[in-house]
Amino acid sequence: MRSLTLHLKILITVLVLLGVAITAYQIYVLEIPVSENETDDLWNIDAKVEFVASSKDPVKVQMFVPPLNRDYVSITESFISNNYGFSVNRADGNRKVTWSARRVSGDQTLYYRLVVTKRSSTEKATAKGPTFRDSLALDGPEKIAAEALMAPIRQHSADVETFVSETIKRVNNLNDDNVKLLLAGDTSPLNKAKVIDLLLSIAHVPMEKVHTVRLVADVPQTPELWLRSFNGKDWLYFNPDTGEQGLPSDRLLWWTGDDNLITVDGGRKVNVTFSLSSSEMNAIRLKRATDENTDADFLEYSLYGLPLQTQQTFMIMVMIPIGVLVILVLRNLIGLQTLGTFTPVLIALAFRETQLGFGIALFTVITALGLSLRSYLEHLKLQMLPRLSVVLTFVVILIAAISLFSHKLGLERGLSVALFPMVILTMTIERLSITWEERGGSHAMKVAIGTLFAASLAHLLMMVPELVYFVFTFPAVLLILVGFMLAMGRYRGYRLTELVRFKAFLKKADS
Amino acid sequence: MFGLIKTWKALEARGIMGINRRNADYVLKYNKRHLYPIVDDKIITKERALAAGIHVPEMYGVIETEKDIDKLDQIIGGRTDFVIKPAQGAGGDGILVIADRFEGRYRTVSGKIISHEEIEHQVSSILTGLYSLGGHRDRALIEYRVTPDPIFKSISYEGVPDIRIIVLMGYPVMAMLRLPTRQSGGKANLHQGAIGVGVDLATGVTLRGTWLNNIISKHPDTTNAVDGVQLPNWDGFMKLAAGCYELCGLGYIGVDMVLDQDRGPLILELNARPGLNIQIANDCGLTQRTHAIEAHIEALAKEGIQEDAAQRVKVTQSLFGHLPHA
Repeated sequence: MRSLTLHLKILITVLVLLGVAITAYQIYVLEIPVSENETDDLWNIDAKVEFVASSKDPVKVQMFVPPLNRDYVSITESFISNNYGFSVNRADGNRKVTWSARRVSGDQTLYYRLVVTKRSSTEKATAKGPTFRDSLALDGPEKIAAEALMAPIRQHSADVETFVSETIKRVNNLNDDNVKLLLAGDTSPLNKAKVIDLLLSIAHVPMEKVHTVRLVADVPQTPELWLRSFNGKDWLYFNPDTGEQGLPSDRLLWWTGDDNLITVDGGRKVNVTFSLSSSEMNAIRLKRATDENTDADFLEYSLYGLPLQTQQTFMIMVMIPIGVLVILVLRNLIGLQTLGTFTPVLIALAFRETQLGFGIALFTVITALGLSLRSYLEHLKLQMLPRLSVVLTFVVILIAAISLFSHKLGLERGLSVALFPMVILTMTIERLSITWEERGGSHAMKVAIGTLFAASLAHLLMMVPELVYFVFTFPAVLLILVGFMLAMGRYRGYRLTELVRFKAFLKKADS
Repeated sequence: MFGLIKTWKALEARGIMGINRRNADYVLKYNKRHLYPIVDDKIITKERALAAGIHVPEMYGVIETEKDIDKLDQIIGGRTDFVIKPAQGAGGDGILVIADRFEGRYRTVSGKIISHEEIEHQVSSILTGLYSLGGHRDRALIEYRVTPDPIFKSISYEGVPDIRIIVLMGYPVMAMLRLPTRQSGGKANLHQGAIGVGVDLATGVTLRGTWLNNIISKHPDTTNAVDGVQLPNWDGFMKLAAGCYELCGLGYIGVDMVLDQDRGPLILELNARPGLNIQIANDCGLTQRTHAIEAHIEALAKEGIQEDAAQRVKVTQSLFGHLPHA
């Protein structure tokens, strides 16, 4: 006996640990969201390219598209271009799409559409970049002005980061004569960046221009310029206007370098407009969508790998153990009396189709009518099988009648009755009537109400969408349930109703 | 909530056995599944008992098929009183007790007049499995109707009072007298409204009783005191019950016996899942007694001794008997 207990304890421990471990692995390693309501922002970015093609020459449009190697994952990417050929190629960490067509004329519109989401994992790809470069050639007054600017910058900085941000701040100080000279009256961001680049090159600090798009919905925008420099470990991003370091999280890196966003051969009046919109997506679906692109098929061996129809079935099936657990607790811990063990679970499943309130009403009506028929049949002294057949047929007719009436009355709900399991109803009627005869009406009522209560509770629990999602996504939870059920198998404590049943012992002790 | 915990603790302290404990520690542990048919089928029980020389009510005949029903007349013969039972019935359901004949019809023990056709229908219902545990086909048993000893007249309403003794590994641990009431319809099952009266294991003197989970000391129908009655032939009952372990091999059973005025103690049936209300009837928990027996068996096993039924009765009588009367 003791060895059996030990055996059981080990079994329970193993099952629970296995269940917890698999679930934890799914949550923490595979990063499957714990709740269905967990959603991620999705950004829908449209870049619309418009130009006028000159009818003589072939057209070749080259445009940068996001390289997507940093914090964002693309879910879908599409190049919408009527009768243009297109190709995408990578160069120097940038990605470029090339649309080409031999003979087009008039206004042309091309679309680039990208749906991205933030990468949920925090792991960082090791960045690579230059840490040294040669100075740009300078002479004359510019050289003197640059060197005059460099002296205080060197004084006020300690490393690459502070050096760059100090430089940017100096260049943005438009009252400085040296800056004025270097800018030569042009204070556009691009020119400022050029001057910053110049100054940094004197100190041999490499600098790169970064063009970003801001993830804000419904605001017209053009790519925003940022500067970045490599400090040996990471890229440091700087705002060219303020010298502030760090790229805000809502910036999507579009391309780097000095080149323009778009070059068009054989066309003019080029215009690119960005429009962004955001939407939310169920996290698990998102996960699947992104995985199609990143070919990590971690969901392949989960229940999500099944065909959709089968998934629906399994969503119901994985909940049945939960329903059974409810009955187990109600019967063995509480001591509620029900008709049979699994009848309440089956009734609970039937409630899925009919909804709870209607289901209970229906169940009560059909059972009550069935019981009265059964008590009438009792007078006819029929044998069991014929009697059961009569009751079953009666139940079918009753269900058909209810469906017909409710349909005529315009209650579509009534049609769901058809799926109410007739055999379960028949058996319920039969057993209830036997209980009635043997133990009396009050006991039969008690059992019937107990059954309905257990069924309702099981139904409500089985319908909690969060729970359905959780169990379906993490089926290993069922192992934990089995562990609990095993433990219940050797539970010796009192049932709640026994505390009432044996009250007589206490009354005597008191008096 | 706090009250419930207090109740729990108090019950535990008194050694009251709950259903979960009974099932886990006794029924599942001591009762081997393959032996269940012996107790679940009254015909097998009876055959076994006869083979072992244990007294049971005489069996007049068995009806196994619908065709056999025609033989009912032949089985009954000229007898005016007899009992029809499902072989695998539970809780006394489906039992028909005929006390007399009345102008070609039959009178049941409760005075209801029924026709021969109704009896045949009852037999047919039994055969289709209406009263059997699993709902499968069953056999009907026609047997001797027990006439209760007149000693019970004063404390019994009608029907046959029976004596239930819980036997653990052959050791009787608790006994109760079950008295039918008007509410129970002549049946001796507690959940149907019969009274359970505790019995002192050593002397066979009744203690107070239980009725619908309450402690009582008077019969609700006759208002006679149920306690302090000396049951005749008590040691005979005890030995009969103790011997049932050898008969069926099940370690935890409830033995139901009757005292017939002509034939003395008879075994009616065995129950592999005896109810727990016997504790209320005896105002005593089962757990302490079963633990004591288990300890006793363990001690014996170490010395390699096996006790026979008479010795086992002595052991339990000295352990649990001679309770102060309430």
